[in-house]
Amino acid sequence: MSTRLSILIVAVGLSPALPCAAEPDPHTAAPAKRQAAAGPVNTGVIGMRIAAARDGDTVEIGPGIYREHIRIDRSIRLVGRGGPVIDGGGSGDIIEIVAPGVVLRGFTIRGTGIDLDQENAAVRATAAGAVIEDNTLEDVLFGIDLREAPGSVVRGNRIGGKKLDIARRGDGLRLWRCDGALIENNTVHDGRDSILWYSKGITVRGNTGRDCRYGLHLMFSDGVTIENNLFANNSVGIYLMYTSGVNISGNTLYRNRGPSGYGIGLKETDRFTVTGNRISANRVGVYIDGSPFTAAQPGDFHRNTIAYNDIGFTFLPSARNNELYENNFIDNIDQVSVAGRGSLEANRFWKGERGNYWSDYTGYDQNGDGVGDFIHESWTLFENMVDREPKLRLFLFSPAQQAVEFVGRALPSVRPEPKFIDEVPLMRPVPLPADVYASTPSAASLGALAVGLLLSGGAIVGAAGGRFGGPK
Amino acid sequence: MNATIAAGAVRTATPPSFGSNLATVAQRELREAVRSRWFVLYTLAFAVLGLGVSYVSAAGSGGSGLAGFGRTTAGLINLVLLIVPLMALTAGAASIASDRERGMLAYLLAQPVSRIELLLGKYLGLAAALFASLCVGFGVCAAVLSFKGEGTRVASLVWLIGLSMGLALSTLSVGVLLSVLARKASAAVGAAVFLWLTLVFVTDLGLMAGTVAMRLRVEQLLALSLVNPLQVFKMWSLHAVDANLDVLGPAGLYASEEFGGRLHAIFGLCLALWSVVPLAVAAAVFSRRSPV
Repeated sequence: MSTRLSILIVAVGLSPALPCAAEPDPHTAAPAKRQAAAGPVNTGVIGMRIAAARDGDTVEIGPGIYREHIRIDRSIRLVGRGGPVIDGGGSGDIIEIVAPGVVLRGFTIRGTGIDLDQENAAVRATAAGAVIEDNTLEDVLFGIDLREAPGSVVRGNRIGGKKLDIARRGDGLRLWRCDGALIENNTVHDGRDSILWYSKGITVRGNTGRDCRYGLHLMFSDGVTIENNLFANNSVGIYLMYTSGVNISGNTLYRNRGPSGYGIGLKETDRFTVTGNRISANRVGVYIDGSPFTAAQPGDFHRNTIAYNDIGFTFLPSARNNELYENNFIDNIDQVSVAGRGSLEANRFWKGERGNYWSDYTGYDQNGDGVGDFIHESWTLFENMVDREPKLRLFLFSPAQQAVEFVGRALPSVRPEPKFIDEVPLMRPVPLPADVYASTPSAASLGALAVGLLLSGGAIVGAAGGRFGGPK
Repeated sequence: MNATIAAGAVRTATPPSFGSNLATVAQRELREAVRSRWFVLYTLAFAVLGLGVSYVSAAGSGGSGLAGFGRTTAGLINLVLLIVPLMALTAGAASIASDRERGMLAYLLAQPVSRIELLLGKYLGLAAALFASLCVGFGVCAAVLSFKGEGTRVASLVWLIGLSMGLALSTLSVGVLLSVLARKASAAVGAAVFLWLTLVFVTDLGLMAGTVAMRLRVEQLLALSLVNPLQVFKMWSLHAVDANLDVLGPAGLYASEEFGGRLHAIFGLCLALWSVVPLAVAAAVFSRRSPV
């Protein structure tokens, strides 16, 4: 038990280091060499139809369950009508695309093998311009695996992984050297990662990733647009490493927890803009490690709402030259933290005359310009203690915590240095569209509860014979 | 009130049953409590503070409608941690001691009522009074939250109310023990307030210092904090509301990973022990001591 425990402690203590530790070395982690697919290929009904087709044909497949492994080696459109099912029978890959410009649409594809070394995938494309649309993938180890398939489109698919232990799962979506790909309106769940390697100019839009390890993970993929996606209940929502030219906007990151547990993580990322995202209930809302990587452009975070996370922003001491403005920091237990004993001096919490909205700002706005008349200084003794000794988090939400804060306010001698300063804090939150994860209005049931409680309180008092009545 | 007891005794030739005696004593205690100043004062204080917490936290979400472990629940947990133990400890402490001081105890025990019945009855009556007070306080909070349209889940609030009642039972039991042990009501209440201060601030601050100075390991820290019923209440509330203790850092993560689903049973056992053991000790002492 003690070994397990110490591992746990180390894991928690080093949690900022975890994502990199969990990653294979990018230079050795090329996809596994192709092996022969398990069992014969193109011997079933669909396979024979493909064998009979020529480039440019459209092959339509009617409803039914097809138990076969398929290799598409000519530029055709393979279209399912009426929901045909291709069942891999729990072995090997299921569909392999080796010709350029193939369209695969409208199938349910299920039952890959579970061999991680072979990287068994439901759909694997190794040629340019594949279009994989409106398919449902179930019970798959790897979902859609594109290798050197530039200009591909992955749209409207539903990818459900195998409910294995996380170490035995495969990636729901993986792109390897696929410049200019479009990933749109897919749902990935119960997979390991959705990961993009060495791919330039990708757009990731309108996708949902949940219950995975990494909702979206980019490595060395420059010029990417990530917009209007939803990543919930993953270990990490969006994590970028060694990537330049990034636009992250309008995404929702909700409840990404676990030992890493970041909504958005940026490691040595450069030239990025993070705007209009809703980041709530994560362990850490935004995690910044060595970003921006060069002095070319300040890191730009504006108009995000960061609410109810355990920690809103975590900066590693290596993070400098970030600009945060017009963000809403609402009731994060720790709004901004610095890992270790670094300082935030190299980052700015305002731009021009606009700072951020802080739910813990205590000043006021006499001249009514929407900007607080006093600077927002963040120093709390308890946070400071927790930054040094994380175990003290156990005392959160207790009156003892408030006693510590009170001492910090009352005795300047024990007051820590301000963690950061916002010179122009906003008085009101910057409006954002409503959150998809906003809890349903429960006013009626709360009201019923209130009435019930008051009545039962009254009933107990009544049982005593009333406050003033009853026998004397 | 004594008329009830006397009448019951006269009507039946045999002494009344355990249950009916208990009910009679409990009802008398509840009535006394409800008429007393402390009950009104505490109920009012809890309701007003709860109202403030709910109102401020509902306003603080800034209309973003974001869901998450919000300030409301945290604020209410904090409020309960401060007020409920104070209520229960002082109410329990005043119960037997003040009766003894007024000579009421000897009078009551002259009735066909055993000491155990008297003690248990008083405990139950006070518990009912505390429940009533909590119902009113939380009722006001729920009303404010529903009025403000705050996204608090009903289930969270129900958990919080239930666990607050559990905390009230535990600390009331300790209060009754103090009351039995003390010679004077003022001493009992003084001890109760001192104990309250200890449970709320001193133990936590001491444990904080210990964590830093003695480098307590997480499992030691967790075990030590399980001794304090207030900490148990807090952890249990977070566990029930959020289904995850990792918000409490390494120690919470350790608890979640190591015990997972058994946490409910562990926390429940802790609070149950705090409710039963002091009361049993109080009963043992009370049945031996002279009532005057």
